[in-house]
Amino acid sequence: MKRHHRTLLFNVPMLLKVIGILLIIESVFMLFPAIVSAIYGESDWIPFLLTAAATGAVGAALTIWMRPTHSHMGKRDGFLLTASVWVVFSIFGMIPFMCSTNPVGVSDAFFEAMSGFTTTGSSVLTDIDNMSHGIHLWRAMMQWIGGMGIILFTLAVIPMLNHSGGIQMFNAEVTGITHDKIRPRISQTAKSLWMTYLGLTVILIVLLWLGPMNLFESICHAFGAISTGGYSTHAESIAAFKSEYIEIVLIIFMFLGGVNFALIFKCVRGNFRDLHTNDVFRTYVGIIALMFVLFVISILYVGEAHTWADITVEPLFQIVSTITSTGFTVANFENWGTFVLSLTFVMMFFGACAGSTSGGAKIDRILYLFKNAHNELYRCIFPNAVLSVKVNNKVVNPDLVNKVIAFLCIYMLLVVGGGMALTACGVPLIDAFFSSFSCISNTGLGAGITGFGGSYDLLPDIAKWILSLLMLTGRLEIFTVLVLFMPSFWNR
Amino acid sequence: MRIVIAGAGEVGSHLAKLLSTEEQDITLVDEDAAKLSVLDANYNLMTVVGNPTSFSALRESGVPQADLFIAVTPYESTNIVSCSIAKTLGAQTTVARIDSYDYMNPDNLKYVNHMGVDRVIYPEYLAAQEIITSLNRSWARHWFELHGGQIILAGVKLREGAPIAGMQLKDFAFTNRHFHVSAIKRDHETIIPRGDDRMQPGDILYFTTTRDHVSDLIELTGKTERRMRRVLIMGGSKIAIRLVNMASDRFRFKIIEDNLDICHLLPQKCPDCEIIHGDARDTDVLADAGIADMDAFIALTPNSEANILTCLTAKEMGVKKTVAEVENIQFISQAEGLNIGTVINKKLLATSTIFQLLLDTDSSTSKCLALADAEVAELEVRPGSKITQAPVKDLKLSRDMTLAGLIREEAGMLITGNTTIRPGDRVLVFCLAGALHKVEKLFS
Repeated sequence: MKRHHRTLLFNVPMLLKVIGILLIIESVFMLFPAIVSAIYGESDWIPFLLTAAATGAVGAALTIWMRPTHSHMGKRDGFLLTASVWVVFSIFGMIPFMCSTNPVGVSDAFFEAMSGFTTTGSSVLTDIDNMSHGIHLWRAMMQWIGGMGIILFTLAVIPMLNHSGGIQMFNAEVTGITHDKIRPRISQTAKSLWMTYLGLTVILIVLLWLGPMNLFESICHAFGAISTGGYSTHAESIAAFKSEYIEIVLIIFMFLGGVNFALIFKCVRGNFRDLHTNDVFRTYVGIIALMFVLFVISILYVGEAHTWADITVEPLFQIVSTITSTGFTVANFENWGTFVLSLTFVMMFFGACAGSTSGGAKIDRILYLFKNAHNELYRCIFPNAVLSVKVNNKVVNPDLVNKVIAFLCIYMLLVVGGGMALTACGVPLIDAFFSSFSCISNTGLGAGITGFGGSYDLLPDIAKWILSLLMLTGRLEIFTVLVLFMPSFWNR
Repeated sequence: MRIVIAGAGEVGSHLAKLLSTEEQDITLVDEDAAKLSVLDANYNLMTVVGNPTSFSALRESGVPQADLFIAVTPYESTNIVSCSIAKTLGAQTTVARIDSYDYMNPDNLKYVNHMGVDRVIYPEYLAAQEIITSLNRSWARHWFELHGGQIILAGVKLREGAPIAGMQLKDFAFTNRHFHVSAIKRDHETIIPRGDDRMQPGDILYFTTTRDHVSDLIELTGKTERRMRRVLIMGGSKIAIRLVNMASDRFRFKIIEDNLDICHLLPQKCPDCEIIHGDARDTDVLADAGIADMDAFIALTPNSEANILTCLTAKEMGVKKTVAEVENIQFISQAEGLNIGTVINKKLLATSTIFQLLLDTDSSTSKCLALADAEVAELEVRPGSKITQAPVKDLKLSRDMTLAGLIREEAGMLITGNTTIRPGDRVLVFCLAGALHKVEKLFS
């Protein structure tokens, strides 16, 4: 019969072995910044090479020494592995920041790495313009890997995880309420999604390169935009290029980064009908359109409309950048008034479509919430009415609606809790809540816009750790991380 | 291979789980979203919620590109309509589960094929066949023969005191060259043995041999061959009806059924058979039915637990051979451990048919037998396949499979390390669950 060896709660050797394999992959990724640094003649290639070697060595040691007796992985293993992989990746990913030419402390480096992998894109590095090319590339690559998902990438390249354990990890990492598989086998699904992602990235690099960016900058910005991360190679972000062409290209690709990749994959395969009937996609476009109108009115009202671009490209760029949780900013965003800022809050909360690289609570959930709220109000008048939440022409199971509402409640509680914890660390009230919100939704808009100062580097160390945890919780959509804090997770 | 399965009932989900571990692309279609969500979250397969007879649901599940379409909903007509649609949409091969002999009848085959059904699975028929085999070979637990009995695989439970009990395999092989011990089932787990494994009492040993040496096998395992004549059946289920219809010329059947309505219907469906109304779980009823004089007792109610326990009672009351229908897979090895002679499971029987299709989509001659955690398959060797390239001992076969015997030029022979397999041979392979795709690669 089926093997009866569930004696331990976790399959620890198997977990460590998988983490080992993942670390080897990370070390391969680290070689690219090392090579780039070496090409540009910077001394940073040494820390990168050493980190890659260390990461690879730890990975290889785990892979070789761990001999799991069986490869079965249950739900608990899936949650624990997924959450710990993201932490372990950040721990190794932070080493280059600590030993580069402009070294930073442990808290800063971890914050930077976690912010990169979770595609938050908020930075604690102060002197961005003088960072080496290696560091820039590594920041961009972290976002790019984290955007689609570390686990998803692994599922695509390692056939070993092509079993039930892989599915548990897939469910724990991929965003969204339900997890659409687009092909029967998990590895095929992962491959299709990654190929779509890679394809979009390559197109974006070429398009950016055609504009005023050089190849290196276009690669970094392409990685940052499609993953909806938001790290830039300049302190002034995209505004440094003063090019509307770049902004328009980025608008399109950030927008795509916020669309469900399964949907994009279907469109690439020529199935455009799904795009039309997809409620979430339509809502996504609708919200952007509505926000655009509100933004333009606000800008006209405060008298900041100096050129045509000020009421066309600039607000649209800011809207798409915010709703997809990218966090690129345009030049005079601060001058558009407080109403725009409150709209920004709303968009940060909404986020884009589930199954995309964006953060936030995801429009899918907001759609469920509003449809359910409508039903509840309707029921006040007609108590006997039988109503259901219908999305994409399919009736949604009430259990799922409950789960979504629970998610949104916990999400808000975490924002408040995070904000309160930050105030306890001595951060001013508004900045505390804004940072907490910005990190859990993986937007990473600099706290600077609330008048706090340049970037997150002024926060006390403890606050950086809190925010790092919030970023991880937000990226893994809350449940995967919070379940680890349940006593029943660790007990039978 | 791309496989679409319609119907996530017992057979459908079992097939889907099993085939997904065999590295096949599985899409499962069913109307019940709750059933599917459990499978979707835990197994490597895709699910589509929809009616198996709707064009849009079948299109969405990728039927037009599918190599194999399997309709196993509980309803025969749904399955046939569903296959018909799938065939129209472009599925390569379609299989429908049926529950009446009509669709299997060779006279009607043309019409069935015309409807777009390439193959049918009739689990009750397969079960009845299995029961007849086990009644004919009452000393064996499993009996699988190829090519008219040229090669035979027999699963035998070793009793205390059998001549070969406690012997090491290498010693056994040295003295008995006509047998190949392909697998041993011990403590609910099947293993592919090596030379230093011992044959212990209580093991179920799977021997491969040729026709001439079967009688030696009975002797070596300490069994006696008995002729079965009088058979008592508990439960007037579909399998029972099928069994009586297929074998009432060889055996005298008596059916005990506790539902009076069914009792009234049975004489119509099985004419040459005595029907008793009563609950067979009651020992008095069993005694009245003449259990003491019976050669075999077959429990075929829908309740697996009742089947197992009643078989044990029958055994105590003096019946030599018992057969129980056990539908919960996890109970099978328990039942085997409890000295139930043969265990019948409709899911496994249906799976055998599907595996046969998987291994050999063009030929209908090859056979396959699915056990609870292993499979036995007959495969034809194609020219140029990997398996022909070296003698067996140099092939570096993985440890979860063994090559048991082969048929070359109409004659059966056993495979040893020095045998080189030639194209055109038909090889009997015994492999543990999840290894069938490795076997498939070896033969392609």
